[in-house]
Amino acid sequence: MSSPSKRREMDLMKLMMSDYKVEMINDGMQEFYVEFNGPKESPYHGGVWKIRVELPDAYPYKSPSIGFVNKIYHPNVDEMSGSVCLDVINQTWSPMFDLVNVFEVFLPQLLLYPNPSDPLNGEAAALMMRDRTAYEQRVKEYCEKYAKPEDVGAAPEEKSSDEELSEDEYAASDDEEIAGKPDP
Amino acid sequence: MLPRKRAGEGEVVEGESENNNNSNNIKDIAVTSPIKKHRFSAAAAADLTANNNTVAIGNNSSNHSSGSVLEPTIMAPGDANHNDIDEDLHSRQLAVYGRETMRLLFASNILISGMNGLGAEIAKNLILAGVKSVTLHDEGVVELWDLSSNFVFSENDVGKNRALASVQKLQELNNAVVISTLTTKLTKQQLSHFQAVVFTDISLEKAFEFDDYCHNHRPPISFIKTEVRGLFGSVFCDFGPEFTVFDVDGEDPHTGIIASISNDNPALVSCVDDERLEFQDGDLVVFSEVHGMTELNDGKPRKIKSARPYSFTLEEDTTNFGTYFKGGIVTQVKQPKVLNFKPLREALKDPGDFLLSDFSKFDHPPILHIAFQALDKFVSELGRFPVAGSEEDAQKLTSIAANVNECLGEGKIEDINPKLLRHFSFGSRAVLNPMAAMFGGIVGQEVVKACSGKFHPLFQFFYFDSVESLPAEPLDPSDFKPLNSRYDAQISVFGSKLQKKLEDSKVFIVGSGALGCEFLKNVALMGVSCGSQGKLTITDDDVIEKSNLSRQFLFRDWNIGQAKSTVAASAAASINPQLKIEALQNRVGPETENVFNDTFWENLTVVINALDNVNARLYVDQRCLYFQKPLLESGTLGAKCNTQMVIPHLTENYGASRDPPEKQAPMCTVHSFPHNIDHCLTWARSEFEGLLEKTPAEVNAYLSNPVEYAASMRDAGDAQAKDNLERILECLDREKCETFQDCVAWARLRFEDYFVNRVKQLIYTFPEDAATSTGAPFWSAPKRFPHPLQFSSTDPSHLHFIMAASILRAETFGIAVPDQVKNPKMLAEAIENVIVPDFQPKEGVKINTDEKDTSLSTASVNDEAMINELFYKLELCKNNLPSGFRLKPIQFEKDDDTNYHMDLIAALANMRARNYSIPEVDKLKAKFIAGRIIPAIATSTAMATGLVCLELYKVLDGAHKVEDYRNTFANLALPLFSMAEPVPPKVMKHREMSWTVWDRWILRDNPTLRELIQWLKDKGLNAYSISYGSCLLFNSMFPKHKERLDKKVVDVAREVAKAELPPYRSHLDVVVACEDDEDNDIDIPQISIYYR
Repeated sequence: MSSPSKRREMDLMKLMMSDYKVEMINDGMQEFYVEFNGPKESPYHGGVWKIRVELPDAYPYKSPSIGFVNKIYHPNVDEMSGSVCLDVINQTWSPMFDLVNVFEVFLPQLLLYPNPSDPLNGEAAALMMRDRTAYEQRVKEYCEKYAKPEDVGAAPEEKSSDEELSEDEYAASDDEEIAGKPDP
Repeated sequence: MLPRKRAGEGEVVEGESENNNNSNNIKDIAVTSPIKKHRFSAAAAADLTANNNTVAIGNNSSNHSSGSVLEPTIMAPGDANHNDIDEDLHSRQLAVYGRETMRLLFASNILISGMNGLGAEIAKNLILAGVKSVTLHDEGVVELWDLSSNFVFSENDVGKNRALASVQKLQELNNAVVISTLTTKLTKQQLSHFQAVVFTDISLEKAFEFDDYCHNHRPPISFIKTEVRGLFGSVFCDFGPEFTVFDVDGEDPHTGIIASISNDNPALVSCVDDERLEFQDGDLVVFSEVHGMTELNDGKPRKIKSARPYSFTLEEDTTNFGTYFKGGIVTQVKQPKVLNFKPLREALKDPGDFLLSDFSKFDHPPILHIAFQALDKFVSELGRFPVAGSEEDAQKLTSIAANVNECLGEGKIEDINPKLLRHFSFGSRAVLNPMAAMFGGIVGQEVVKACSGKFHPLFQFFYFDSVESLPAEPLDPSDFKPLNSRYDAQISVFGSKLQKKLEDSKVFIVGSGALGCEFLKNVALMGVSCGSQGKLTITDDDVIEKSNLSRQFLFRDWNIGQAKSTVAASAAASINPQLKIEALQNRVGPETENVFNDTFWENLTVVINALDNVNARLYVDQRCLYFQKPLLESGTLGAKCNTQMVIPHLTENYGASRDPPEKQAPMCTVHSFPHNIDHCLTWARSEFEGLLEKTPAEVNAYLSNPVEYAASMRDAGDAQAKDNLERILECLDREKCETFQDCVAWARLRFEDYFVNRVKQLIYTFPEDAATSTGAPFWSAPKRFPHPLQFSSTDPSHLHFIMAASILRAETFGIAVPDQVKNPKMLAEAIENVIVPDFQPKEGVKINTDEKDTSLSTASVNDEAMINELFYKLELCKNNLPSGFRLKPIQFEKDDDTNYHMDLIAALANMRARNYSIPEVDKLKAKFIAGRIIPAIATSTAMATGLVCLELYKVLDGAHKVEDYRNTFANLALPLFSMAEPVPPKVMKHREMSWTVWDRWILRDNPTLRELIQWLKDKGLNAYSISYGSCLLFNSMFPKHKERLDKKVVDVAREVAKAELPPYRSHLDVVVACEDDEDNDIDIPQISIYYR
C-alpha cells in the first residue's frame, strides 16, 4: 500500500476524476467540501448537499469524518450537527475503502435505504416507520428548503459569494481568496 | 469520599485511622509484623512530615466531616470499605489486578535472597506493587562489579553489606511496605514467615533443601529460583503441590447479546452481529434475561462448542424448553485452574516442556537447562565463576555439561552446542542491567501470581538467552579485562570497545513516564552517554502526579507537581554521576521543530521512544526515517508489552504496519440505545463536558465580547448557533443559580430531564411494540427498552447524583458549598422544596398530516429570526448581571478523588444504566472506563525496557544484520514470550531502480515545477500531483495549477503552502504521486529539492 500521504492525493484525485465537485480550502488536503446529489429513485432526488470531509492524520487507517453542511431530514443524520451514523464510515471502515466509495456507494445507499432501527434523528425514524408517505413528503420539503443548488454554492464558512462556482473556479480562486481575505 | 492518603505517611495516618477504624493500616502492620530485623523509615518519614502537614490542612478545609463519624455521608454505591487501597496511588495497577488481588498483595510477606542487580529489580517491582513486607537477604558485600546492574548502589556503598546498602533507597519507593534485612546465613525455618521466597544466587544443593521445605510446608510457601548470568537467564517456580489459579489470563469474561436460540439438541445460539464473539470451545457460559426460553436463566454454567464468530452450540437439550422469544445475554464463566507443581529435585530431572520465547532458538532451552546445572557444579567445585575470555574455563564447563547430559539417560540431548556454552561460560559472572530488568519484571510478576492466584504462573522452567547482543565481530580475550570501573561486569561480556561506544553515544529518550524512568536507570547503569563525547537528551512536557508513583520509580511524593524530565534526570544522575544528561520540557511534534531542529537530529546516535500514544510515536518515526536514525520502540498494556526495532535500511519503519484504530460505539447507540455500561459512560462524559465545560465557556465568550459573539453566531445562522444561544440563555436566565438551593433545584431538574422525561419521550416516539417498516420489532437486540426512573430522596444513588451535580454547578457559579449537602437527610429536605413540573411528550412526531406542513415552517423556518430574539433576551439578562460576571468552566480531571467529577460521571452513567436495565458499576470501574485509564504495572514496563536495552547493545555496536535483531511481544499474565526478527523494509522497483522507505531522491539547482516533472519523466515516471506537507503544490486536475509550472518549487511552496524555511536550511522535501507509462501508481521516495 502507498504511503498515507500519497493515499490522500490519490483518493482526492480519483474523486475529482469521477466528476465530483471538490472545494478545497487553501489547497489543503486535510479538510474539504464535496458536492453530493441525492440519488435518483429516492425522495432525496433533486437535493444537493455540501458534505464536509475531514481526513484524520491516520487516514486511511482511520475513517474520514463526514458531515452534511446543509440540513437533511434523515433517520441516520443528526439534524442539528449533520453527523452521519453509518457503520461503514465509522465502526467498520477499512483502509481498503476510499473517498469514491463514500460518495459513490455509502452515502447513496444511506439515502436510498435509511435505517430507522438505529436512528440518530428519532423523529425522522419514527415518521418513516409509521407513515412512509408523510416521511417522504417531509424529506422533499427539507430538500426544497435547504438543499437547492444555491444552498451549496454559498458555503457559510468559506464563501461570501452567492454565485455557484464551477470546479475550475473553485480551484483557481484559492490564491486570490487568501490574498483578498482579511485575517480572521 | 474521604481523601485517601498513602498509608504510612506520618501523622496523616492517625487521622485516617480515627475516621475509618481500619485495621489494615500501616501502624498495625508495623506493630504486628513478625519481621522487623531492620526497619528503615524514620528518615524518609521525617522528610515527608512537612509536606504532609500542608496536605492535611488542605484536606480539612475541603472536608469538614473528617474527625466526626456520627453523621453519615453520601457514598457512591459500592464505594464503602475501600479505604484500605490507596486508589489515587494504585489506580493504574488496580485496573490490571482488581481490588481482590491488591488486598492479597497487601497481606503478603516476601523474601528476596541475593541483592545483586536482579534482586534489586525484583524488590523494586514488588515494593512499587505494594506488598506488605519485603525482606532482603544477603551475606555478601557490595563490590564495584555490582554497579553494572544494581541501581540502588553507589560507589560509596562498596564494602557494605548488600542488603543493608539497599534498604534506604528501596524504602523510598513506597513507605507503606515494611522493608527489613537479613545479613546472616538463612535457615529453612526462617522461610515460614513468608508467602513467597525468591533466590537470585543460590547453589542447587541449598535450593533443593529450601524448596523441599517450602513445598511441604502447610500452607506451601511459593519458591522461585532465578539467575541471570551474562546474556543468559533462568527462572524456576514451585508454588506447591496444589496451587489454584483464579484468573488464568487476566481478560474480562467475554459476553454476547443473543438473537435466537433453537429448541434442539444441542441447541444453536445465535448472537447479534454487532461484535464478533470471542468464546472458545469448552468455555462455560451462563445466560440471563432470556425471554421465552426462561429455563436458561437458571444461572447454571453450560459448556459451549463449535464456537463461531456470531453463534455457538450449547451442550444442552432444549427441545422441551420454552420457545425463545427475545432478549438474553450470554456471559463466560471463568474457571479456576489447579496446578500441581513438582519440587525442584524432581522437576530438574523431568523438566517437562520449557516455555519457549524464540522459535529460531527452539533448541536452546534444553541446552541451557544443562548449562545452568553445569555452572552450579563448576562454582561449587572451583569456588569461583569461569573467567571471561578463558578458553580453559569454557572447556571445563563444557565437559561438566557433557557429563550432566550423559547422566540424563533417555532425556539426553544430541548436541550441547559448545559454542553457546562458551559464551555462557565467558559471561557467567556478570549480572547485566538489561537482563536484570527483564528478569526482574518476569520474577516480580511470578511473585504477584504466587501471592494472589491472579494470572497463570510460569510452569515451571524458563530459559532465555540473548547471545545476538554480543558484538558482531569476535572479541580478543584482552578486551574482557576489567578496568577497575563500575562497568567491569558489562565489559567482561561485551569488551571495552563496545563499552566506549556506549559511553560516547548521543541518545534521545522521548518521554519520561513509566518507560522513560526505567530507561534512564538502564542507560545510566550501562554507562550509555556517560563518556566525554556522550550526551543524553530526555524530554517530557508532563508533570508528576500521584498515580505515577506506583511505577515511575524515579519520582517521590515530594516531587508531585514538578516536571517529570527534570526530576527523572537528576535521579538518573544520582544512579551514575557520569551520565551526561539534559532534561527538556518540550512535547516532540511539528510545533517544536525549532528546539528539535535538523542539527539536533543529525547529531543523534539512536532514539528511544518512551511514549504513551500512537500519534507521537508516528511523528518520531517519521523524523527518524527522515534523519536515518535507529528508533527503539516499546509499549505496555497491563501485563502485556511489545518492542519494535526500527533500524535504517534494515527494517521497516514503525508506521509501516498499524493496529486497527480503536472501535468506537456508534453515535446513535450512545445517544438513545445504550446496551452496555461503556455506552452510558461515553454519554455521561459528553454530558459532563456540555454542562460544565462547554456551556460555561460559551457564556463567558458571550459576556466577554457580546458584539463579536453575536456577529459570529449570526454569520453561522444555523441550528447549532441557535442551540448555543439557547443554552447560554438558560444558564443566565431560567436556570441561573444564585444560592446553593438553586443548584440543588437545577440538579433535581436535570435528573428529571435525563432519566425521566427524555426516556418518556423516547418510548412515546418508539413504544415497546413499535415495529420497523418490515414489521420486525423496533426494540430488538441489541437495543434495550428503557424505563423512566421515579425520583426518590431515599435512594442513595439518586441523592449521590443530586449532590455531585449541585456541587459542581455551584462551582461553575462560584457559589460556596455548605457542608450539609453531604448529609443525606438535609439534602433530601432541600430537594423536597424543588417544584418539578409534569412531563408532556412532544407530539411533533405523531402523524398528523394536516399539522405537519405548518410545524415544519414554524419549527425551523427562521433560525435567523429566532437567533435575533434570543440575542434580545440575552441583552436583558446581561444587563442584570454584576459587571465582570463570569462562569467557571470545569475541565474533567479523573485523577482527583475529591473533586466530584467522577462522582457525577459515575452517577450519570449509572442512572442511565438503570433506565436501560444495564448493570451499574462502582466509581472506580467508572473511572477506568470514562477516564480511559490505561492499565499499567511496573513489571511489564521493566521487562520491556530490559528487552529494548538488549537491542541497544546491537544498535550501538553498529555492525549487526537484521537477523540479529529481535522484536518481542510478551504477556506476563499467560505467560507468553514471542520474539521474532524484524520485518525488512518493502523494496520498490521501477526499471533498473529500486528503493525502500529509507531512501530519498535529491534534485539540486533550485528547479521549477516543470523541471521537476521533466526530471521524473526522464525516469519514466509521470507525476500528476506534487505536495508539500498536506498542501497541494501542483495537481494535473486543476487547470489553474498549470500557471505555477514555471515557478521554482520553493517559491510555490512559500506562496501556496506558506512554507517557512529557516535560513540554515537549503532544501525542502516534496511528495510526488506518479504513474509509470502503463498507468500503474509508483510509490517513489520523497524528493529533496535543493534551492541554495
